[in-house]
Amino acid sequence: MLNTNYKCHVIIGMFGSGKTEIALNSAIYLKEKYDNVAIADIDVISPYFRTRDEIDVLENMGIKVITPPRKFMHADLPIIPPAVGGYIVNPEFQTIIDAGGNEDGSTVVGSLKNFLDQTKTATYFVVNTKRPFMNTVEDIEYYIERLSAKARRRVDFLVSNSNLQNETTEEIILSGEKLLKEVSEKTGIPVAFTVVPEFLKDIKTEFPKFVLKRFLDKVYQL
Amino acid sequence: MAEKVMVKGTEAIGEAAIRAGCRLYFGYPITPQSELTEYMSRRMPQVDGVFLQAESEVAAVNMLYGAASTGHRVMTSTSSPGYSLMQEGVSYIAGAELPVVFVNVVRGGPGLGDIQPAQSDYFQATKGGGHGDYRLVVYGPESLQEAVELTAKAFDVADKYRNPALILADGMLGQMMEPVEFPEFRDLSTLPDHSSWAMQGAKGREPHKITSFDINEYVLEQMNLRYQEKYKKIIENEQMWEEYKTDDADIIIVAYGTMGRIAKTIVNMAREKGVKAGLFRPITLWPYPYEALAKLADQAKLFFTVEMSMGQMVEDVKLAVNGKKTVEFYGRTGGVVPTPNEVLAKLMELI
Repeated sequence: MLNTNYKCHVIIGMFGSGKTEIALNSAIYLKEKYDNVAIADIDVISPYFRTRDEIDVLENMGIKVITPPRKFMHADLPIIPPAVGGYIVNPEFQTIIDAGGNEDGSTVVGSLKNFLDQTKTATYFVVNTKRPFMNTVEDIEYYIERLSAKARRRVDFLVSNSNLQNETTEEIILSGEKLLKEVSEKTGIPVAFTVVPEFLKDIKTEFPKFVLKRFLDKVYQL
Repeated sequence: MAEKVMVKGTEAIGEAAIRAGCRLYFGYPITPQSELTEYMSRRMPQVDGVFLQAESEVAAVNMLYGAASTGHRVMTSTSSPGYSLMQEGVSYIAGAELPVVFVNVVRGGPGLGDIQPAQSDYFQATKGGGHGDYRLVVYGPESLQEAVELTAKAFDVADKYRNPALILADGMLGQMMEPVEFPEFRDLSTLPDHSSWAMQGAKGREPHKITSFDINEYVLEQMNLRYQEKYKKIIENEQMWEEYKTDDADIIIVAYGTMGRIAKTIVNMAREKGVKAGLFRPITLWPYPYEALAKLADQAKLFFTVEMSMGQMVEDVKLAVNGKKTVEFYGRTGGVVPTPNEVLAKLMELI
């Protein structure tokens, strides 16, 4: 779970590492503790499976969702509404920034540096060790450094999100934690939490456990 | 088989191509396919392959033409408007009988369209697209695992017949993530030997000529007839399809690609309502499995085609059914994906 010693939470990582699912679940987690929670979708990279697809669900829970104006929502345009900066610095809100994947997604975070530096911000790097380019300590270290440079932020926490969707097993989660622990020891970056799906919620994890409900299930799933 | 990994559709096709022995990739980014190009840019250097971002799709397709002339496995990927731009080159490649694998991650159209999934490039894929009498072998995968298998198959079939092949995906397949098991890496020394025709150095032998053209119309006609002989063999040998719960079905839903996958849900929902529905899912869109579908015309009361287009494959369904039974159609277009509920409602209206 997000570290509530901070008021702004930036979630970065490679494509498909699970940033948006974690951001959505974290917004709901924070909403249980705080009156005012905002989530900003600054994913200008991927045209599918973005926070903006779940606006209604979140707004019904009283969570403020910041996305491009509705008429541009499905455009392939890099739109960052000015409200993003406002909610980053607004002291009354716990704010989650859901970035796009890879270096390009993190570049957008870098563009918000002026706002992020004004507030207590934590940056999380999400890792699914079952993804391409994320299955060795060296690769993970390399991409932490690359994305951190683009985001113009030090990575404060790692998030262990090793999974194969519905085929996730305890073994996958634990071996992902093990790899991430090695990364953590080498880089000195602590692991904030380990994501586990609802159907494995009782397993024992090395790091604090965050049970995730999947939002982005789609019509093609039998 | 290796362990499973979590991949996006675009990455799955890219990795499958590399494992099938493709070391040459030329492409140009376009949503919702860009991740395939990006994946290749990261991955090709790791396997001593070549990644080259072309200055346009027109340039990319001509790079393919040249590279394929050397007999090596070569591929590109693009999305609808980009594939339209490539059509002149596709026609040349088909005419020159070169094995090339194309990937079209289809988005809404026509024109610029949008970046959401669609199946409205079916005519372009299966009935031409460029000029002249030619065919591509066209595969429509429903899942990432199937996309991986069909990508390897596309390379083998392209090599076997010296003919371009096309993976017709859509934005949904390109962008979705699923666990996938990849095959082992193909040993490059086991790839088909193309030394009898490829441009690999003419020292000590007569030069080879690769062209789609002859100035003598009778010779050009002979070339065309040769292509047709090849297409006949492909029609005989390469048809693929899946039947889902068709054994006792009197309603046959026909759908391909991701729509075919969604249609399985619709079949199950219909059966819960006591409707004996089944799915016929063509996997090769050319050659189209006409005869296999025609066989179902005796048992079925109704054929119901569902597409993410305004009705393209439905014409092939009608050709197969040949007037024996009614063929109905439901489609959404412009990037809208029909939901199982709306398709089921339409089906219930029809019966």
